[in-house]
Amino acid sequence: MISVSPQILAGSQPALDLNNLNPEQVALEIKNLNLHYGNKQALQNITMSIPKGQVTAFIGPSGCGKSTLLRCINRMNDLVDICKVSGEINLHGDNIYGKHVDVAALRRKVGMVFQRPNPFPKTIYENVIYGLRITGEKNRRVLDEAAETSLRSAALWNEVKDRLHESALGLSGGQQQRLVIARAIAIQPEVLLLDEPTSALDPISTLTIEELINDLKKQFTVVIVTHNMQQAARVSDQTAFMYMGDLIEYNDTNTLFTTPMKKKTEDYITGRYG
Amino acid sequence: MDNLNIGRHISGQFNEDLERVINHVMHMGGLVEKQLNDSLTAVGDSDEELAKKVLSSDYHINHMEVSIDDECTRIIAKRQPAASDLRLIMAIIKTIADLERIGDEAQKIAQVALESLSSDQKALLQSLDNLGRRVLEFLQATLDAFTRMDAETAIKMHKNDEKIDREYEALMRQLMTYMMEEPRMIPQIMSVIWSARALERIGDRCQNICEYIIYFVKGKDVRHTTAEDVQAL
Repeated sequence: MISVSPQILAGSQPALDLNNLNPEQVALEIKNLNLHYGNKQALQNITMSIPKGQVTAFIGPSGCGKSTLLRCINRMNDLVDICKVSGEINLHGDNIYGKHVDVAALRRKVGMVFQRPNPFPKTIYENVIYGLRITGEKNRRVLDEAAETSLRSAALWNEVKDRLHESALGLSGGQQQRLVIARAIAIQPEVLLLDEPTSALDPISTLTIEELINDLKKQFTVVIVTHNMQQAARVSDQTAFMYMGDLIEYNDTNTLFTTPMKKKTEDYITGRYG
Repeated sequence: MDNLNIGRHISGQFNEDLERVINHVMHMGGLVEKQLNDSLTAVGDSDEELAKKVLSSDYHINHMEVSIDDECTRIIAKRQPAASDLRLIMAIIKTIADLERIGDEAQKIAQVALESLSSDQKALLQSLDNLGRRVLEFLQATLDAFTRMDAETAIKMHKNDEKIDREYEALMRQLMTYMMEEPRMIPQIMSVIWSARALERIGDRCQNICEYIIYFVKGKDVRHTTAEDVQAL
């Protein structure tokens, strides 16, 4: 007789215990992070561990602080004058808000893709290898190889391999977004931040990018902010729900979308009045 | 609908869709309860007319199952329900399947009313009726708990099935003794056994519905766990 238990049917790996991760499972550790824009506090005492090689999604209503938190991870908020940050974000044990951190070097380790595709007005090829060029890489073979690998990883190679030296601006929105992802991964970052990467795309391009995110997590730790809850449910391994600067609930995605612990999470994901 | 909390969606249309499907489930539950009640009455009063009515009314329940399933499919396609909404839809889909089977079991019970039994054997029907009334109460309490999505009652009711199983076993022993004493009557007694079996199965299905209520309210799947696990919730 064959015995079949639900564990066997589940197939995918078991959910991580997010409160008790081994140090080697953690890519990013956020500790007591507070952020103020002037007098307004945008993040309140956020503490969470983001596991390595997985997709973590931040969801929540507009203004809840999810994009702000994402931008903290590669110090994009440094560009905002009135922004003040306290607390720690540790990338492999080193605080990225430490005194002697080279922000440019940090951003090589933590790549970012934005809501709207922002290719440079250059050729497809030049876009992809831009990061390597500015770090001084000149070897043609290295650059060619990086371009091909990145474009393949971004599931764009087959569509552009015959027109690598044409302008990137001639690509469709979905292709441009994948090009930008290829550019971000060409420099082999450890963490990839995606800020609503599909909100400007059509449903088919969205699905292509979601499929791509699933492939990317084999190489990188992916953190994604999305307004689309079904997208978070589809692509992420764990989901954090934020509300008015607070981290309300952080759990594995399957649990959060079927049996959330907090009422605020429940109300948000079922589309109820708060 | 204390725990249902369905009226607060930002989408009024979604509220309406959910309310409509819940009302249909309640209506279906009412029909099933009536079918069981009628079939027990038909057996108790040897009312052939009523038994035939039970047999010919089952199609209403079958139709309701199909149309509620259809409504649930549409809600899933259009709304992609999550969390409690998703658990509600899952609970409804499973509940109506059990309700439809309870309807089928009620039909089997009604069949006994069409058998010609001697006055001696009618005593056996009394035991069957006792079991039947207990099962009917279980069904009513289950439907009531479903209407209010009351997990506490569902947890309490969940263990009722054990009592029904014990009563069923006692009735079976009585029927077997009777068969040994009166082998000629085996065909008639067999039909009493089928109805007792049908009642026992209805108890199981009520227990299933209690499990779906617990799943909806508590988010815990208690199927195939021990009675202690359920009571410990």
